[in-house]
Parts: sequence; C-alpha cells; structure tokens
Amino acid sequence: MPSMLLNTDLEAEVTLLESRLQDARAQLAASEYPSPPSSYTVKEPYIKSKPQSPTIHTPLHALLLLSDSALPLGSFAYSSGLESYLAHNKPSRTSPITSFHRFLKLSIASIASTSLPYVLAGYRHPETLDTLDNDIDASTPCIVAQRASIAQGRALIGVWERAFRVSFAGPGSPVSSDAESAVAAIDDLSDALKSCLEEDDGLGPKGHFAPLWGVVCRAMGLDLQQTAYVFVMNHAKAVLSAAVRASVMGPYQAQNVLASQSLQDMITKRIAREWDTPVEEAGQIVPALDLWVGRHELLYSRIFNS
Amino acid sequence: MRKPTAPIPSPFQSSIAKQGQGKVVLSLLPPNNPTFTTLTYKYPLKLVPRNGNFIPTADPSDPSDTSPPRPVHLYLLTYGGGLLPGDHISVSITLEARTRMVVTTPQGSTKIFKTDPTNPDLTSPTVIKGHRDRMPTNLHQPDMSQQTLDVHIGPQAALCYLPDPSVPYRNSRYAQHQSFTIDASAKGPHRASLCVLDWVTQGRTSRGENWDFRFWRGRNEVWARDATGRSRLLLRDSVVLDDESERDLDSDDDSDSYEELDNAARNLHNGLVNRADRPSQTKAGLTPLNLIAERCAPHGVVGTLILSGPVFEALGAFLLQKFQSQPRIGSRNWSDQAPSSAPEPSVSCRGDVTWTAARVRAGFVLVKFGAKDFETAKDWLGGLIREEGSVVREFGEEALFCL
Repeated sequence: MPSMLLNTDLEAEVTLLESRLQDARAQLAASEYPSPPSSYTVKEPYIKSKPQSPTIHTPLHALLLLSDSALPLGSFAYSSGLESYLAHNKPSRTSPITSFHRFLKLSIASIASTSLPYVLAGYRHPETLDTLDNDIDASTPCIVAQRASIAQGRALIGVWERAFRVSFAGPGSPVSSDAESAVAAIDDLSDALKSCLEEDDGLGPKGHFAPLWGVVCRAMGLDLQQTAYVFVMNHAKAVLSAAVRASVMGPYQAQNVLASQSLQDMITKRIAREWDTPVEEAGQIVPALDLWVGRHELLYSRIFNS
Repeated sequence: MRKPTAPIPSPFQSSIAKQGQGKVVLSLLPPNNPTFTTLTYKYPLKLVPRNGNFIPTADPSDPSDTSPPRPVHLYLLTYGGGLLPGDHISVSITLEARTRMVVTTPQGSTKIFKTDPTNPDLTSPTVIKGHRDRMPTNLHQPDMSQQTLDVHIGPQAALCYLPDPSVPYRNSRYAQHQSFTIDASAKGPHRASLCVLDWVTQGRTSRGENWDFRFWRGRNEVWARDATGRSRLLLRDSVVLDDESERDLDSDDDSDSYEELDNAARNLHNGLVNRADRPSQTKAGLTPLNLIAERCAPHGVVGTLILSGPVFEALGAFLLQKFQSQPRIGSRNWSDQAPSSAPEPSVSCRGDVTWTAARVRAGFVLVKFGAKDFETAKDWLGGLIREEGSVVREFGEEALFCL
C-alpha cells in the first residue's frame, strides 16, 4: 500500500526531526545559556535563586512529556484563526505558502504578547493562579479563543491529575519546594473548578491554558526558559498541523518549517521580548487576528473549532 | 515633642497640583438635578461642562415615576488639540449614583504629535534647562504622550464615551490607560452602565502616513469594587501597536529573520534559492509594510466598543444580532436559477468594515472592528448606533457628536 509506505516514511521523518529537535533542546538546556542576550539578564534571579545541587539534572523526561505533539491536548480541533484567515485573505498575487508564513508570524507574535506573560507569571508565582485565571479570562476578547483556551486548560488539568501527578507529586516521589507550591496551586484550581456551580455572570474559575501551563511546567521541574519555549513551540506545531489539514502545505514542508532556524529565532525573539512584560501590559499586538478569530463562526463551512 | 508636620494646606489651594490633571465629580442633587460638585483641571487639559437642553423622554412602560436624570455633557479638550511628547493628561471622573454623563472630544481626533529625536520640543520635560541634549530615554520613556482616564461609576449611573479616534503622527509614541470602576454590589437593573469607544487610525493619510508611528498602546479596563474595597478585573481590552524599533537599535536583525522566514517560504515554494527575487516581489505591487501596518493590514483604523449595563443592554443585543446575521463567509447559492455570474463580494474587506461582536463574561458586549479608513468606520458605527436608537433616546444626539 503506497499510503502505508508514505505514512511510515513520514513517521520516520517525524521521529528523526523530533529527536533532532530534542537533542538541540537538551543541548541548549544543558549549556545553561552560555551567552544570554542582554534582555535575559533579569532572569538570572529566577535561575539562580534556588541553589541547585549538582545531582539534580535537567528534567529531560518531563520536557519530553510536555513537548509531546499531542499537547496542548485537543489542539487538533483548533486552527487558532488560520481557517478564518484563509477565508478572509484569498491569495491573489501571493502564494498560499507566503500567505501562511505571514499568518504563522502574526500568530506567534500574538500568542507571545497575549498569553506568554501569563505563562511566565504562572511559573514565577503559582500561588496567584486564581487571579491569573480571572485576569486572562477578562483579557480574552473573543469567545472563540476563550473556549479553546478553557478546553485546553481543563484538558491539561485532566492529564496532570490522571497521568502526571502520581509520578511527579505522588506519594513517595520527592517534591522540591519549588514544585510544591505549583502542585498546591493546581489542586486548588482543580477543586475550585469542580465545586464551582454556575456562578452568576460566569465569573467563576475557568481553567485557562496559559497560566496553568506555567504552573504545571513548574510542578514537573522544567525551568522557565523551557516552559516558555515549549509553550510557543507547541503553538507553532498546532498551527502547522492545522495548515497540513487545511491543505495549505504538505507534512514534509510543515516539518521543514518547524525545524527551521528562522522559526527557532522567531520563538526565541518573541520570548525575549515578553520576558519582563507584566501581565497587566499583556495585550494584542495583531488587532487583525482578533477579528479573524472572532469571525470564525461566520464561516459557511469549517473544519476547526477556532 | 511634637513632630514637625506638613504645613497646613491652604483652603484656597487647588487640589490639582500637576499639569494636565483634571478631576470631575458629578452628583445628583435633589430633586433630580445633576450638578458638577467638583470640576478642576490644569493646562494643557481643559474640561468644559455643558448642561444640555436635552431631556430624555420618560419611558411610559417604566413603572417607576422618576424620569431618568438629565445627561450632562463634558467636553474633553487639550490646548492645541493634541498631545505633545511628554504631555501627560490624567482625568479622574466620578459619577455618583443615578447620574448620566456624555463625554466627547469636540476638537476632532486626538492628535499625537511626533517624537522628534533631533529637535526636542521645549515644553517637553525631557529637556533639562540649559542643556541642549535630551535626557537618555529610559524605560519609562518620558517623551511619550500619555493619557489616563480613571472613572468611577456609581449604581444606576451611566457613562457614554464616544470620542474621536486618536491619530498618531509619524514617529509618535502614546500610551493610554482608561480604567472604569463599578460597584460590585449593584446587581441587575441597578448596575452601572458604560459605553466606551476606543479607536486608532493609521495617521494622516493625506500625508501618506500608514501606521508610521513608533508606539501606541490603548488599555481599557473595567473593575468591580466590592464593599471591602477589593477590586476584581472584569474586562481588559489591551492593544499594543509597537514598531519594535527600540530593540532594533542594538540588534537590527529583527526584520532580517522575518525576511528569512518569508524567503525560506518562497524558496521552498518556488524552488528558488537566489535572493534576487526579493526586489521583484516588492515591485509587483506589494509595498513593503512596516511592522505595525502588517499587523493591522488591511485596515486603516481599528477599534473597540465596550458596552455594559442596563442602559446599553438594548444596543448590545442589537449589535450581536447584527453580527450574527451577517452573510456566511464562503457560502454559495446552489440553486440553479440563481445568476451564477456575480461572484460573492470579496470578504477580504477591501473598502469594507470587518467586525466581530461577542458577549463576553459579566454581561459585557465587546465589538471589535477594522475598516479601511476613518470615514468608513465612523459611518458604519454611527449608522448602527442611530439605527438602534437607544443612545440618542437616552443621551441625545450630542452623544454621537463624534460619529
């Protein structure tokens, strides 16, 4: 069967690329950022604040779990506005690939400016998770994006409780003081979500993805840079996967983009830009994206939820 | 021994000490008489109250015999009709229970004048007297124009704030922070009402400006404050338009890496590896866009309308209904009789208004829009609000002064 052959080929390719990526990441993590860009100097307190004993190595295992292409769980159902963008921007002179690259660039810039500050704040201050959850809910102007974020956040709580918790915070497994507060924060939010009756005006806890991601990564022992990188990288993966399914490009091309140096640079650059952005100043830097995402429900036919 | 205390404040001293600050308190004196109990301001800000003649007609179906209080009009002005670098306008407005206020900007658009690095403006506080050099730009960016609006809206009070858009000139920087605080304990029909429009244009199109400013930030927040004084964020709408030139000064690889990605894409697609196709690409009618223009394209004006509370409930529902009844994008008429000639008008919103409306939490209705130019947006929004009619009925035609 040719399609079977193709599939195995592709799988091999994907495995290869993923392993390369992970190697690169592991190297990056192991090297402890030998030459941090100037804007990174402020993060020193976060890295160096806890005197790490040399026996604690980079939690590679957790990193691999969290960079799984299945995460964010259920992301295959969302195109982050790509489907609507394609409907609104019928390529005339530009090729669909160029048009897609514009979208990817805008989408990554936008997720970094709107959500990344919440990821970083969730990691740095897990005890404020409920406030962060409220604030990001208040700051998401579009119900389509809001639904997606809540669905993925709750799925993340689910996978944490059912799968990861027992290994990373279960009885018998050592929990560092760093992770302890994060575990407590997730438990609190999870309890609040379960016990919350439909509060008036829908102001109860929501379980948005971005702040939870920061807290879960902390609970699993990732460092802040990895947390941010995997967050943006997973978003890029989800958009590219949507592009493949929306027939914008083939799977090889998608992996090519994913592996490219320019994507890496772009992610690093966006993270550096938002590293010190307080959540109060998080905001939409691509106003057009809000319009596309919001108008997704006006599409006559659609294959994604957003 | 008594500790030396601060000198007794003069009773005649204005409570407003700093430039550009203003304070307004609107109270409802009995029986039903809205009055400015405080109204102070300082250069370059100017606040002009106007007691309009408009009297809203009492709703005959309303069981309460009290007619809604008269809306009071407040003009927000700045000398020169705009903001210079370093200007900081800060206005605090309190609407006491059951008052209604209309705020407009009668000077037309809020012009944001440019930050000129070579010729510092003399009124700018960044200039140290006797020094020709500017102070180094720090993170707080003292050469940025800023406007802060802090509004407290009491129970059953209503604010209708439909200003002109801000027009940032080339190389200007501007940050605007508008915060609205309502009483968390007031529920249902006693809630405060709020209608806020915040929009920004690409600049002076007559001068060819197309999102050529350096920085523009608009942040609108609605907070609910409970009896204990704790505040909870209900809504935050934050738009940051940044040409990101700050960082490029030390590392100007920004555009390059983007270019590379685009090139990689093109090469991938065309099988071309030479970079010589870049100029031809731009010649093909694709004017190279700056970062902000690219992020706003294809729009020349973007904006947000925030609606909340019983007074604007009808308008919110009307806009939602209008949004949901827009034609589906990409739908076709499959019937044979239909003339197949006319293709669906392009939704790429050339010359049109692209907008979305959503009921987010706490009953807020949020409308976001993008349009090709100011006139289009103005006609569209003014048309919708007039068609629905409740704003004109409750606040008078003056509320739509800027639309």
